[in-house]
Amino acid sequence: MPFREINSKMVEATVVPGQRMFSQRGAMLAYRGEVAFTPNIQGGQGGMMSMIGRRLANEATPLMTVEGNGTVMFGHGGHHIHVINLAGDTLYVEADRLLAFDGSLQQGTMFMGSQGGVMGMVRGQVTGQGLFTTTLTGHGAVAVMAHGGVIELPIAPGRDVHVDPQAYVAHHGQVRNKLSTALGWREMVGRGSGEGFQLELSGSGAVYVQASEEKL
Amino acid sequence: MFRLEGSKTLAVDLTGDAVKAKNGSMVAYEGQMAFKKMTGGGEGLRGMVTRRLTGESMAVMQVTGQGTCYFADRASEINLVSLHGDKLYVEASNLLCTDAGLRTGTTFTGLRGGATGNGLFTTTVEGTGQAAIMSDGTAVVLRVSAQYPLFVDPGAYIAHQGSLQQHFQSGVNFRTLIGEGSGESFQIRFEGEGLVYVQPSERNTIGGNV
Repeated sequence: MPFREINSKMVEATVVPGQRMFSQRGAMLAYRGEVAFTPNIQGGQGGMMSMIGRRLANEATPLMTVEGNGTVMFGHGGHHIHVINLAGDTLYVEADRLLAFDGSLQQGTMFMGSQGGVMGMVRGQVTGQGLFTTTLTGHGAVAVMAHGGVIELPIAPGRDVHVDPQAYVAHHGQVRNKLSTALGWREMVGRGSGEGFQLELSGSGAVYVQASEEKL
Repeated sequence: MFRLEGSKTLAVDLTGDAVKAKNGSMVAYEGQMAFKKMTGGGEGLRGMVTRRLTGESMAVMQVTGQGTCYFADRASEINLVSLHGDKLYVEASNLLCTDAGLRTGTTFTGLRGGATGNGLFTTTVEGTGQAAIMSDGTAVVLRVSAQYPLFVDPGAYIAHQGSLQQHFQSGVNFRTLIGEGSGESFQIRFEGEGLVYVQPSERNTIGGNV
């Protein structure tokens, strides 16, 4: 069930019986029809072990299950919303940026260290993303939030993209990311250009960048 | 080459040349880029001292390289300004990016600054090239001609270009003094020929509070 963008800050989703979707708790603005909202203590899919995993990983955003028959409008905090359609690949996104996603998507938690070892952990700390990030895999749509508009930059072999860690929103596809530093003596004496750390993304896929350096 | 990617992100295509941008405003880039802070806004020692003294200090970095660089700052709307040898007056905090070929400097604005909350000095950009200025909300560009002077709320003014004289005027009366002012006690009057950029939002100003 795809999301329909009403304007840049609201999306509408159609809910049909037998299919459920997840959304951030409290993000419902209005609905039509018979729709039930159930707080999801587990914070997503995957049973008890996944819940413990998310709690430990600090990726546990309060989610609710949306079921029934009707249409639901979502929005949160006046943030811009961007809808990403997944066709079998994996989206990497911070849990607190997730607004809503199809129940058909497989949700997981990924340890940053598993992609890039120790540097992955360092990267997580520097970017403020923490040591874990949320993954969504499968076929379906995801609505993510960002401060300011979102631009999508394609990544292709030989066309690496560098992103300011604070403006990074999400990425999907076969993408390797590593933290590249451009620290010189200027940074050491407090005369840096403010661009000392960058996320270097290579492979094939796409990265989503917001027009702001503010976290949500 | 400046172009807008949406209304809040500026994309600059570089082929070995350079641009000056607000420090830390890069959000992403493709290709090879180097970022270097320009101490004192890149105007030499005299410029640096002037900026320190006038409170118009701006942290500027020089970006050089091959590829496309994307700039954005706190989700502000971005407006492109083309300069053909004329002069753009803009607040340092509203200036996002300029061609490296453009000269920047500081100038005295007169009484206006005190009430706009901008200080008594403003930044000038002159030469031929492109500049990107930021506004809170989509800015409108208003044309001023000899017969039609323009009055602007000091808190909503962001920039102007062309040969304009600006006068500061106040509508302070007894109502203002007893605290029943309309909040529009001060205006800037622009006369001459040129363009004024106005944002649909007001900064906190002394003028707006009385």
